[in-house]
Amino acid sequence: MDKVFQHNTDRIADFTRTLNVLIIENNPVDCAMLSGMLSKSTFGSFRLKGTDSLNQSFKILAEGTWDVVLLDLNLKDSSGLKTLHQLHDQFPRIAIVVNTGVYQDSLGLKAITCGAQDYLIKGKYKSYGLVKALYYAVERKRAEEELKAAYNRLKEAQSQLIQVEKMTVIGGLASGIAHEVKNPLATILYGVEFLTTKLTETDDQIQLTLKSIREATQKANDIIKDLLDFASLSKLNIVPESINTVIEHSLNFTKHQCDKTGIRLEKFFANNLPPVPIDKNRIEQVIVDLILNAILAMPDGGLITIRTLSKKFEISDLAGSQIDSRRFQPGEDIVIVEIDDTGSGINEENLAKVFDPFFTTRRAAGGVGLGLSIAKTIINSHNAIILLTNYDRGTRARIIFKTGLDT
Amino acid sequence: MNIYPEKKKILIIDDESGFTEMVKLNLEATGKYLVRCENNGMRAVDAAQEYQPDLILLDIIMPETDGTDICWRIKEQEELQTVPVVFLTATVRKNEVEAQHGDIGGYAFLAKPTTVEELTECIESHLNPNS
Repeated sequence: MDKVFQHNTDRIADFTRTLNVLIIENNPVDCAMLSGMLSKSTFGSFRLKGTDSLNQSFKILAEGTWDVVLLDLNLKDSSGLKTLHQLHDQFPRIAIVVNTGVYQDSLGLKAITCGAQDYLIKGKYKSYGLVKALYYAVERKRAEEELKAAYNRLKEAQSQLIQVEKMTVIGGLASGIAHEVKNPLATILYGVEFLTTKLTETDDQIQLTLKSIREATQKANDIIKDLLDFASLSKLNIVPESINTVIEHSLNFTKHQCDKTGIRLEKFFANNLPPVPIDKNRIEQVIVDLILNAILAMPDGGLITIRTLSKKFEISDLAGSQIDSRRFQPGEDIVIVEIDDTGSGINEENLAKVFDPFFTTRRAAGGVGLGLSIAKTIINSHNAIILLTNYDRGTRARIIFKTGLDT
Repeated sequence: MNIYPEKKKILIIDDESGFTEMVKLNLEATGKYLVRCENNGMRAVDAAQEYQPDLILLDIIMPETDGTDICWRIKEQEELQTVPVVFLTATVRKNEVEAQHGDIGGYAFLAKPTTVEELTECIESHLNPNS
Protein backbone atom coordinates (compact mmCIF):
# COMPACT_ATOMS: atom_id res chain seq x y z
CA MET A 1 0.00 0.00 0.00
CA ASP A 2 1.22 3.47 -0.80
CA LYS A 3 2.58 4.96 2.40
CA VAL A 4 1.47 8.44 1.56
CA PHE A 5 -2.17 7.41 1.57
CA GLN A 6 -1.95 4.95 4.38
CA HIS A 7 -0.70 7.54 6.84
CA ASN A 8 -2.60 10.47 5.55
CA THR A 9 -4.82 11.70 8.38
CA ASP A 10 -5.53 14.98 6.62
CA ARG A 11 -9.34 15.37 6.24
CA ILE A 12 -8.90 16.45 2.62
CA ALA A 13 -8.08 12.92 1.54
CA ASP A 14 -8.88 10.53 4.33
CA PHE A 15 -8.70 7.37 2.24
CA THR A 16 -9.25 5.14 5.27
CA ARG A 17 -12.93 5.96 5.49
CA THR A 18 -15.32 3.55 3.75
CA LEU A 19 -17.27 5.29 1.01
CA ASN A 20 -20.80 4.26 0.07
CA VAL A 21 -20.80 4.38 -3.70
CA LEU A 22 -23.81 3.97 -5.96
CA ILE A 23 -22.87 3.06 -9.53
CA ILE A 24 -25.54 4.14 -12.00
CA GLU A 25 -24.41 2.49 -15.20
CA ASN A 26 -26.24 1.47 -18.35
CA ASN A 27 -23.69 -1.06 -19.48
CA PRO A 28 -23.45 -4.18 -17.24
CA VAL A 29 -19.91 -4.83 -18.44
CA ASP A 30 -18.80 -1.34 -17.41
CA CYS A 31 -20.55 -1.78 -14.10
CA ALA A 32 -18.76 -5.04 -13.39
CA MET A 33 -15.47 -3.44 -14.39
CA LEU A 34 -15.95 -0.47 -12.04
CA SER A 35 -16.92 -2.77 -9.17
CA GLY A 36 -13.87 -4.87 -9.81
CA MET A 37 -11.54 -1.88 -9.93
CA LEU A 38 -12.86 -0.48 -6.67
CA SER A 39 -13.12 -3.68 -4.70
CA LYS A 40 -9.67 -4.83 -5.74
CA SER A 41 -8.04 -1.44 -5.16
CA THR A 42 -5.11 -1.57 -2.74
CA PHE A 43 -6.19 1.67 -1.05
CA GLY A 44 -9.52 3.10 -0.18
CA SER A 45 -12.51 1.12 1.03
CA PHE A 46 -15.90 0.96 -0.64
CA ARG A 47 -19.40 -0.32 -0.14
CA LEU A 48 -20.87 -0.67 -3.63
CA LYS A 49 -24.27 -0.98 -5.19
CA GLY A 50 -25.27 -0.72 -8.83
CA THR A 51 -28.33 0.10 -10.88
CA ASP A 52 -28.98 0.75 -14.56
CA SER A 53 -31.97 3.07 -14.15
CA LEU A 54 -32.22 6.64 -12.92
CA ASN A 55 -35.65 6.08 -11.39
CA GLN A 56 -34.38 3.05 -9.53
CA SER A 57 -31.42 5.08 -8.28
CA PHE A 58 -33.78 7.66 -6.74
CA LYS A 59 -35.34 4.93 -4.61
CA ILE A 60 -31.98 3.52 -3.56
CA LEU A 61 -30.57 6.96 -2.70
CA ALA A 62 -33.66 7.91 -0.70
CA GLU A 63 -33.42 4.78 1.43
CA GLY A 64 -29.77 4.70 2.42
CA THR A 65 -26.84 6.90 3.26
CA TRP A 66 -24.66 7.53 0.24
CA ASP A 67 -21.42 9.44 -0.18
CA VAL A 68 -20.96 9.52 -3.89
CA VAL A 69 -22.61 8.47 -7.15
CA LEU A 70 -20.73 7.29 -10.23
CA LEU A 71 -23.08 8.38 -12.96
CA ASP A 72 -23.31 7.27 -16.54
CA LEU A 73 -25.17 10.01 -18.44
CA ASN A 74 -26.84 7.73 -20.97
CA LEU A 75 -29.25 5.37 -19.25
CA LYS A 76 -32.31 3.53 -20.43
CA ASP A 77 -34.64 6.09 -18.81
CA SER A 78 -32.64 9.29 -19.26
CA SER A 79 -29.81 10.59 -21.39
CA GLY A 80 -27.24 13.38 -21.59
CA LEU A 81 -26.94 16.23 -19.12
CA LYS A 82 -30.63 15.80 -18.28
CA THR A 83 -29.62 12.73 -16.28
CA LEU A 84 -27.25 14.82 -14.17
CA HIS A 85 -29.82 17.60 -13.78
CA GLN A 86 -32.50 15.27 -12.51
CA LEU A 87 -30.22 13.50 -10.07
CA HIS A 88 -28.73 16.74 -8.75
CA ASP A 89 -32.19 18.31 -8.32
CA GLN A 90 -33.43 15.33 -6.33
CA PHE A 91 -30.30 14.84 -4.21
CA PRO A 92 -28.40 18.11 -4.09
CA ARG A 93 -26.21 16.97 -1.21
CA ILE A 94 -24.74 13.84 -2.76
CA ALA A 95 -21.40 14.10 -4.58
CA ILE A 96 -21.72 13.07 -8.22
CA VAL A 97 -18.89 11.90 -10.42
CA VAL A 98 -19.93 11.64 -14.06
CA ASN A 99 -18.52 8.57 -15.77
CA THR A 100 -19.27 8.44 -19.46
CA GLY A 101 -18.05 7.14 -22.76
CA VAL A 102 -18.59 10.40 -24.58
CA TYR A 103 -15.37 12.32 -24.86
CA GLN A 104 -16.11 15.99 -25.20
CA ASP A 105 -14.38 18.76 -23.22
CA SER A 106 -17.32 21.16 -23.38
CA LEU A 107 -19.67 18.51 -21.98
CA GLY A 108 -17.25 17.90 -19.11
CA LEU A 109 -17.17 21.57 -18.18
CA LYS A 110 -20.94 21.78 -18.46
CA ALA A 111 -21.30 18.79 -16.13
CA ILE A 112 -19.14 20.53 -13.51
CA THR A 113 -21.21 23.72 -13.87
CA CYS A 114 -24.34 21.63 -13.38
CA GLY A 115 -23.19 20.30 -10.02
CA ALA A 116 -20.98 17.30 -10.79
CA GLN A 117 -17.73 17.05 -8.84
CA ASP A 118 -15.76 15.39 -11.62
CA TYR A 119 -16.09 14.12 -15.18
CA LEU A 120 -14.42 10.84 -16.03
CA ILE A 121 -14.10 9.28 -19.47
CA LYS A 122 -14.50 5.51 -19.50
CA GLY A 123 -11.26 3.74 -20.30
CA LYS A 124 -9.16 6.83 -19.67
CA TYR A 125 -8.37 6.16 -16.02
CA LYS A 126 -6.89 3.47 -13.90
CA SER A 127 -7.84 2.24 -10.44
CA TYR A 128 -5.80 4.91 -8.63
CA GLY A 129 -7.34 7.73 -10.67
CA LEU A 130 -10.85 6.45 -10.00
CA VAL A 131 -10.34 6.04 -6.23
CA LYS A 132 -8.76 9.46 -6.00
CA ALA A 133 -11.60 11.00 -8.00
CA LEU A 134 -14.20 9.48 -5.68
CA TYR A 135 -12.51 10.49 -2.42
CA TYR A 136 -11.74 13.97 -3.70
CA ALA A 137 -15.30 14.36 -4.96
CA VAL A 138 -16.68 13.55 -1.50
CA GLU A 139 -14.33 16.01 0.15
CA ARG A 140 -15.00 18.72 -2.41
CA LYS A 141 -18.73 18.23 -1.93
CA ARG A 142 -18.34 18.46 1.84
CA ALA A 143 -16.35 21.69 1.50
CA GLU A 144 -18.93 23.01 -0.94
CA GLU A 145 -21.74 22.25 1.51
CA GLU A 146 -19.87 23.96 4.32
CA LEU A 147 -19.33 26.98 2.14
CA LYS A 148 -23.00 26.98 1.20
CA ALA A 149 -24.02 26.77 4.85
CA ALA A 150 -21.66 29.62 5.74
CA TYR A 151 -23.04 31.65 2.84
CA ASN A 152 -26.60 30.99 4.02
CA ARG A 153 -25.72 32.03 7.56
CA LEU A 154 -24.16 35.20 6.19
CA LYS A 155 -27.21 35.88 4.05
CA GLU A 156 -29.48 35.31 7.02
CA ALA A 157 -27.40 37.67 9.18
CA GLN A 158 -27.45 40.24 6.40
CA SER A 159 -31.21 40.07 6.02
CA GLN A 160 -31.60 40.38 9.78
CA LEU A 161 -29.36 43.45 9.73
CA ILE A 162 -31.40 44.95 6.92
CA GLN A 163 -34.56 44.18 8.85
CA VAL A 164 -33.22 45.85 12.00
CA GLU A 165 -32.10 48.86 9.98
CA LYS A 166 -35.50 49.03 8.30
CA MET A 167 -37.28 48.85 11.64
CA THR A 168 -35.08 51.59 13.03
CA VAL A 169 -35.90 53.86 10.11
CA ILE A 170 -39.62 53.04 10.26
CA GLY A 171 -39.49 53.47 14.03
CA GLY A 172 -38.01 56.94 13.80
CA LEU A 173 -40.41 57.93 11.07
CA ALA A 174 -43.43 56.45 12.84
CA SER A 175 -42.80 58.08 16.19
CA GLY A 176 -42.16 61.39 14.44
CA ILE A 177 -45.40 61.11 12.50
CA ALA A 178 -47.25 59.83 15.54
CA HIS A 179 -46.34 62.89 17.58
CA GLU A 180 -47.23 65.30 14.80
CA VAL A 181 -50.51 63.59 13.99
CA LYS A 182 -51.64 62.80 17.53
CA ASN A 183 -51.61 66.45 18.54
CA PRO A 184 -54.12 67.58 15.93
CA LEU A 185 -56.14 64.39 16.61
CA ALA A 186 -56.31 65.31 20.29
CA THR A 187 -57.51 68.78 19.34
CA ILE A 188 -60.18 67.37 17.02
CA LEU A 189 -61.37 64.87 19.64
CA TYR A 190 -61.69 67.49 22.38
CA GLY A 191 -63.38 69.83 19.90
CA VAL A 192 -65.93 67.19 18.94
CA GLU A 193 -66.56 66.31 22.57
CA PHE A 194 -67.18 69.92 23.40
CA LEU A 195 -69.55 70.37 20.46
CA THR A 196 -71.35 67.14 21.36
CA THR A 197 -72.10 68.41 24.86
CA LYS A 198 -73.16 71.84 23.56
CA LEU A 199 -75.33 70.65 20.67
CA THR A 200 -77.50 68.12 22.47
CA GLU A 201 -80.74 69.78 21.34
CA THR A 202 -79.94 69.94 17.64
CA ASP A 203 -81.11 67.73 14.82
CA ASP A 204 -80.03 64.21 13.94
CA GLN A 205 -77.84 65.30 11.03
CA ILE A 206 -75.57 67.32 13.31
CA GLN A 207 -75.37 64.47 15.81
CA LEU A 208 -74.56 62.07 12.98
CA THR A 209 -71.85 64.41 11.69
CA LEU A 210 -70.26 64.69 15.13
CA LYS A 211 -70.40 60.93 15.56
CA SER A 212 -68.72 60.38 12.18
CA ILE A 213 -65.96 62.85 12.98
CA ARG A 214 -65.36 61.20 16.34
CA GLU A 215 -65.20 57.72 14.84
CA ALA A 216 -62.94 58.80 11.99
CA THR A 217 -60.56 60.46 14.43
CA GLN A 218 -60.54 57.40 16.63
CA LYS A 219 -59.78 55.25 13.58
CA ALA A 220 -56.89 57.49 12.57
CA ASN A 221 -55.58 57.20 16.09
CA ASP A 222 -55.82 53.40 15.97
CA ILE A 223 -53.79 53.33 12.77
CA ILE A 224 -51.11 55.49 14.34
CA LYS A 225 -51.09 53.14 17.30
CA ASP A 226 -50.66 50.10 15.03
CA LEU A 227 -47.86 51.83 13.19
CA LEU A 228 -46.09 52.54 16.47
CA ASP A 229 -46.59 48.91 17.52
CA PHE A 230 -45.11 47.83 14.24
CA ALA A 231 -42.16 50.13 14.71
CA SER A 232 -41.30 49.52 18.34
CA LEU A 233 -40.44 45.84 17.95
CA SER A 234 -36.74 46.36 18.30
CA LYS A 235 -37.22 46.67 22.06
CA LEU A 236 -38.18 43.17 23.16
CA ASN A 237 -38.15 42.06 26.76
CA ILE A 238 -37.32 38.37 26.36
CA VAL A 239 -37.89 36.18 29.44
CA PRO A 240 -38.56 32.42 29.68
CA GLU A 241 -42.33 32.09 30.07
CA SER A 242 -44.97 29.38 30.26
CA ILE A 243 -46.71 29.58 26.91
CA ASN A 244 -49.89 28.03 28.38
CA THR A 245 -50.14 30.86 30.91
CA VAL A 246 -49.58 33.45 28.19
CA ILE A 247 -52.39 31.92 26.12
CA GLU A 248 -54.73 31.77 29.13
CA HIS A 249 -54.07 35.45 29.70
CA SER A 250 -54.77 36.26 26.04
CA LEU A 251 -58.07 34.39 26.32
CA ASN A 252 -59.23 36.85 29.00
CA PHE A 253 -59.13 39.55 26.33
CA THR A 254 -61.08 37.56 23.75
CA LYS A 255 -63.59 35.78 26.00
CA HIS A 256 -66.20 38.47 25.60
CA GLN A 257 -65.96 38.39 21.78
CA CYS A 258 -66.22 34.60 21.76
CA ASP A 259 -69.28 34.60 24.02
CA LYS A 260 -70.95 37.32 21.98
CA THR A 261 -70.58 35.44 18.70
CA GLY A 262 -71.49 32.02 20.12
CA ILE A 263 -68.08 30.50 19.45
CA ARG A 264 -66.93 27.54 21.48
CA LEU A 265 -63.37 27.15 22.64
CA GLU A 266 -61.46 23.93 23.23
CA LYS A 267 -58.03 23.80 24.77
CA PHE A 268 -55.53 20.98 24.55
CA PHE A 269 -52.56 22.22 26.52
CA ALA A 270 -49.58 19.93 27.00
CA ASN A 271 -48.42 19.60 30.58
CA ASN A 272 -44.79 20.16 31.51
CA LEU A 273 -43.98 22.30 28.48
CA PRO A 274 -40.49 23.75 28.69
CA PRO A 275 -40.47 27.54 29.22
CA VAL A 276 -40.17 29.54 26.01
CA PRO A 277 -38.02 32.69 25.78
CA ILE A 278 -40.47 35.38 24.68
CA ASP A 279 -41.67 38.91 25.24
CA LYS A 280 -44.92 37.99 26.96
CA ASN A 281 -46.82 41.15 26.01
CA ARG A 282 -45.91 40.83 22.35
CA ILE A 283 -46.83 37.17 22.10
CA GLU A 284 -50.10 37.89 23.89
CA GLN A 285 -50.77 40.50 21.24
CA VAL A 286 -50.16 37.90 18.50
CA ILE A 287 -52.40 35.28 20.13
CA VAL A 288 -55.20 37.79 20.70
CA ASP A 289 -54.91 38.84 17.07
CA LEU A 290 -55.06 35.26 15.79
CA ILE A 291 -58.09 34.48 17.96
CA LEU A 292 -59.86 37.65 16.82
CA ASN A 293 -59.15 36.65 13.21
CA ALA A 294 -60.58 33.21 13.90
CA ILE A 295 -63.69 34.80 15.40
CA LEU A 296 -64.11 37.06 12.37
CA ALA A 297 -63.79 34.02 10.09
CA MET A 298 -66.83 32.43 11.78
CA PRO A 299 -69.67 34.98 11.75
CA ASP A 300 -72.19 32.19 12.28
CA GLY A 301 -70.41 30.65 15.23
CA GLY A 302 -68.08 27.68 15.32
CA LEU A 303 -65.22 26.15 17.23
CA ILE A 304 -61.75 27.45 18.09
CA THR A 305 -59.27 24.78 19.11
CA ILE A 306 -56.04 25.81 20.80
CA ARG A 307 -53.28 23.26 21.17
CA THR A 308 -49.81 23.40 22.68
CA LEU A 309 -47.14 20.74 22.47
CA SER A 310 -43.41 20.27 22.66
CA LYS A 311 -41.39 18.08 20.32
CA LYS A 312 -38.28 17.85 18.19
CA PHE A 313 -38.37 19.95 15.06
CA GLU A 314 -38.97 18.19 11.72
CA ILE A 315 -39.37 19.74 8.30
CA SER A 316 -42.93 18.34 8.24
CA ASP A 317 -43.83 20.74 11.08
CA LEU A 318 -43.87 23.43 8.42
CA ALA A 319 -46.94 21.72 6.93
CA GLY A 320 -45.81 22.04 3.34
CA SER A 321 -45.34 25.77 3.68
CA GLN A 322 -42.58 27.28 1.55
CA ILE A 323 -41.35 29.22 4.55
CA ASP A 324 -37.61 29.64 5.01
CA SER A 325 -36.77 27.19 7.79
CA ARG A 326 -33.01 27.61 8.04
CA ARG A 327 -33.41 29.08 11.51
CA PHE A 328 -34.54 25.64 12.72
CA GLN A 329 -32.45 22.48 12.76
CA PRO A 330 -34.17 19.09 12.58
CA GLY A 331 -34.10 17.55 16.05
CA GLU A 332 -34.05 20.90 17.81
CA ASP A 333 -36.44 21.27 20.82
CA ILE A 334 -39.51 23.31 19.92
CA VAL A 335 -42.88 24.31 21.33
CA ILE A 336 -45.83 24.54 18.95
CA VAL A 337 -48.98 26.59 19.43
CA GLU A 338 -51.89 25.90 17.09
CA ILE A 339 -55.10 27.87 16.77
CA ASP A 340 -57.70 26.21 14.53
CA ASP A 341 -60.99 27.70 13.43
CA THR A 342 -63.89 26.09 11.62
CA GLY A 343 -64.42 29.00 9.23
CA SER A 344 -64.39 29.12 5.47
CA GLY A 345 -60.60 28.96 5.16
CA ILE A 346 -58.38 31.29 3.14
CA ASN A 347 -58.19 30.94 -0.63
CA GLU A 348 -54.80 29.94 -2.07
CA GLU A 349 -54.19 33.30 -3.70
CA ASN A 350 -54.75 35.23 -0.48
CA LEU A 351 -52.81 32.72 1.61
CA ALA A 352 -49.61 34.05 0.07
CA LYS A 353 -50.50 37.63 0.94
CA VAL A 354 -52.04 37.47 4.40
CA PHE A 355 -48.83 38.62 6.09
CA ASP A 356 -48.26 41.58 3.76
CA PRO A 357 -48.70 44.98 5.39
CA PHE A 358 -52.04 46.60 4.51
CA PHE A 359 -53.43 43.42 2.94
CA THR A 360 -56.97 42.80 4.20
CA THR A 361 -60.11 41.07 2.99
CA ARG A 362 -62.12 43.20 5.39
CA ARG A 363 -61.31 46.63 4.02
CA ALA A 364 -65.02 47.42 3.68
CA ALA A 365 -65.58 46.49 7.31
CA GLY A 366 -62.80 48.82 8.39
CA GLY A 367 -59.84 46.41 8.36
CA VAL A 368 -56.49 48.15 7.99
CA GLY A 369 -54.44 45.04 7.25
CA LEU A 370 -51.68 45.48 9.79
CA GLY A 371 -52.69 42.78 12.29
CA LEU A 372 -51.03 39.75 10.73
CA SER A 373 -48.04 41.65 9.40
CA ILE A 374 -47.39 42.90 12.92
CA ALA A 375 -47.91 39.36 14.21
CA LYS A 376 -45.35 38.06 11.72
CA THR A 377 -42.84 40.77 12.58
CA ILE A 378 -43.24 39.96 16.26
CA ILE A 379 -42.82 36.24 15.63
CA ASN A 380 -39.79 36.80 13.38
CA SER A 381 -38.16 38.97 16.00
CA HIS A 382 -38.49 36.00 18.38
CA ASN A 383 -36.67 33.80 15.85
CA ALA A 384 -39.88 31.79 15.70
CA ILE A 385 -42.07 30.83 12.74
CA ILE A 386 -45.73 31.59 12.09
CA LEU A 387 -47.69 29.88 9.35
CA LEU A 388 -51.28 29.86 8.21
CA THR A 389 -52.64 26.84 6.39
CA ASN A 390 -56.03 25.50 5.51
CA TYR A 391 -56.95 22.17 7.07
CA ASP A 392 -60.06 20.08 6.41
CA ARG A 393 -62.33 22.18 8.66
CA GLY A 394 -60.98 25.71 8.30
CA THR A 395 -57.80 27.70 8.90
CA ARG A 396 -54.94 26.66 11.14
CA ALA A 397 -52.44 29.16 12.55
CA ARG A 398 -49.27 27.54 13.84
CA ILE A 399 -46.46 29.20 15.76
CA ILE A 400 -43.20 27.34 16.28
CA PHE A 401 -40.95 28.56 19.09
CA LYS A 402 -37.41 27.54 19.93
CA THR A 403 -37.01 26.60 23.57
CA GLY A 404 -33.30 27.44 23.62
CA LEU A 405 -32.27 30.92 24.71
CA ASP A 406 -30.45 31.85 21.52
CA THR A 407 -32.91 34.42 20.22
CA MET B 1 -56.25 85.74 42.83
CA ASN B 2 -58.94 83.14 42.32
CA ILE B 3 -62.26 84.94 42.13
CA TYR B 4 -64.07 81.59 42.07
CA PRO B 5 -62.39 79.91 45.07
CA GLU B 6 -64.43 76.73 44.59
CA LYS B 7 -62.90 76.22 41.14
CA LYS B 8 -59.48 74.65 40.67
CA LYS B 9 -56.96 76.56 38.60
CA ILE B 10 -55.33 74.54 35.83
CA LEU B 11 -52.41 75.82 33.81
CA ILE B 12 -51.86 74.09 30.50
CA ILE B 13 -48.51 74.52 28.77
CA ASP B 14 -48.49 73.26 25.19
CA ASP B 15 -47.37 74.86 21.94
CA GLU B 16 -50.54 73.79 20.07
CA SER B 17 -52.92 76.66 20.67
CA GLY B 18 -55.83 74.78 19.11
CA PHE B 19 -55.29 71.96 21.56
CA THR B 20 -54.98 74.17 24.65
CA GLU B 21 -58.13 76.08 23.63
CA MET B 22 -60.06 72.82 23.37
CA VAL B 23 -58.80 71.67 26.77
CA LYS B 24 -59.84 75.03 28.22
CA LEU B 25 -63.31 74.90 26.66
CA ASN B 26 -63.97 71.34 27.82
CA LEU B 27 -62.59 71.74 31.34
CA GLU B 28 -64.34 75.05 31.96
CA ALA B 29 -67.60 73.58 30.62
CA THR B 30 -67.56 71.14 33.54
CA GLY B 31 -67.90 74.15 35.87
CA LYS B 32 -65.14 72.78 38.10
CA TYR B 33 -62.06 74.46 36.67
CA LEU B 34 -60.51 77.72 35.56
CA VAL B 35 -57.96 77.20 32.81
CA ARG B 36 -55.10 79.34 31.59
CA CYS B 37 -53.27 78.43 28.39
CA GLU B 38 -49.61 79.10 27.77
CA ASN B 39 -48.38 78.26 24.27
CA ASN B 40 -44.86 79.59 24.68
CA GLY B 41 -42.66 77.15 26.55
CA MET B 42 -40.17 79.91 27.38
CA ARG B 43 -42.90 81.73 29.30
CA ALA B 44 -44.05 78.65 31.22
CA VAL B 45 -42.35 79.38 34.54
CA ASP B 46 -43.48 83.03 34.53
CA ALA B 47 -47.01 81.96 33.75
CA ALA B 48 -46.96 79.45 36.62
CA GLN B 49 -45.63 82.04 39.07
CA GLU B 50 -48.23 84.55 37.97
CA TYR B 51 -51.21 82.19 37.92
CA GLN B 52 -50.37 80.03 40.99
CA PRO B 53 -52.28 77.02 39.56
CA ASP B 54 -53.58 74.03 41.53
CA LEU B 55 -52.29 71.71 38.80
CA ILE B 56 -50.17 72.01 35.68
CA LEU B 57 -50.75 70.09 32.45
CA LEU B 58 -47.47 70.02 30.58
CA ASP B 59 -46.55 68.93 27.06
CA ILE B 60 -43.14 67.32 26.65
CA ILE B 61 -42.03 68.24 23.16
CA MET B 62 -42.22 71.91 22.33
CA PRO B 63 -40.26 73.96 19.78
CA GLU B 64 -38.00 76.08 22.01
CA THR B 65 -37.80 73.98 25.09
CA ASP B 66 -38.47 70.62 26.65
CA GLY B 67 -41.34 69.84 29.00
CA THR B 68 -39.19 67.94 31.47
CA ASP B 69 -36.86 70.93 31.63
CA ILE B 70 -39.80 73.24 32.33
CA CYS B 71 -40.91 70.84 35.04
CA TRP B 72 -37.52 71.09 36.80
CA ARG B 73 -37.55 74.86 36.56
CA ILE B 74 -41.08 75.06 37.99
CA LYS B 75 -40.13 72.75 40.84
CA GLU B 76 -37.20 75.03 41.65
CA GLN B 77 -39.68 77.77 42.62
CA GLU B 78 -40.48 77.39 46.29
CA GLU B 79 -44.16 78.39 45.99
CA LEU B 80 -44.68 75.93 43.12
CA GLN B 81 -42.91 72.92 44.61
CA THR B 82 -46.10 71.16 45.73
CA VAL B 83 -48.12 71.90 42.60
CA PRO B 84 -48.81 68.59 40.85
CA VAL B 85 -47.62 68.31 37.26
CA VAL B 86 -49.29 65.97 34.76
CA PHE B 87 -47.46 65.37 31.51
CA LEU B 88 -49.87 65.37 28.62
CA THR B 89 -48.01 64.10 25.63
CA ALA B 90 -48.24 62.35 22.30
CA THR B 91 -44.78 60.82 22.61
CA VAL B 92 -45.89 57.90 24.75
CA ARG B 93 -48.65 55.48 24.00
CA LYS B 94 -51.67 54.66 26.11
CA ASN B 95 -50.60 51.07 26.78
CA GLU B 96 -47.15 52.22 27.84
CA VAL B 97 -48.73 54.63 30.31
CA GLU B 98 -51.08 51.93 31.58
CA ALA B 99 -48.22 49.50 31.96
CA GLN B 100 -46.55 52.07 34.22
CA HIS B 101 -49.85 52.80 36.05
CA GLY B 102 -49.85 56.34 34.67
CA ASP B 103 -46.59 57.12 36.35
CA ILE B 104 -43.19 57.55 34.68
CA GLY B 105 -40.25 58.65 36.79
CA GLY B 106 -42.56 59.72 39.59
CA TYR B 107 -44.65 61.96 37.37
CA ALA B 108 -48.17 61.45 36.10
CA PHE B 109 -48.58 60.92 32.39
CA LEU B 110 -51.55 61.08 30.05
CA ALA B 111 -51.09 59.91 26.47
CA LYS B 112 -52.73 62.11 23.84
CA PRO B 113 -55.36 61.81 22.62
CA THR B 114 -57.56 61.18 25.65
CA THR B 115 -61.24 61.71 26.23
CA VAL B 116 -62.34 64.65 28.35
CA GLU B 117 -63.49 62.15 30.97
CA GLU B 118 -60.03 60.56 31.19
CA LEU B 119 -58.50 64.01 31.47
CA THR B 120 -60.78 65.14 34.32
CA GLU B 121 -60.34 61.82 36.14
CA CYS B 122 -56.59 62.24 35.94
CA ILE B 123 -56.75 65.84 37.14
CA GLU B 124 -58.99 64.92 40.09
CA SER B 125 -56.74 62.09 41.17
CA HIS B 126 -53.66 64.31 41.20
CA LEU B 127 -55.02 67.51 42.76
CA ASN B 128 -53.72 68.09 46.27
CA PRO B 129 -56.66 67.46 48.62
CA ASN B 130 -56.00 70.64 50.60
CA SER B 131 -55.27 72.97 47.67
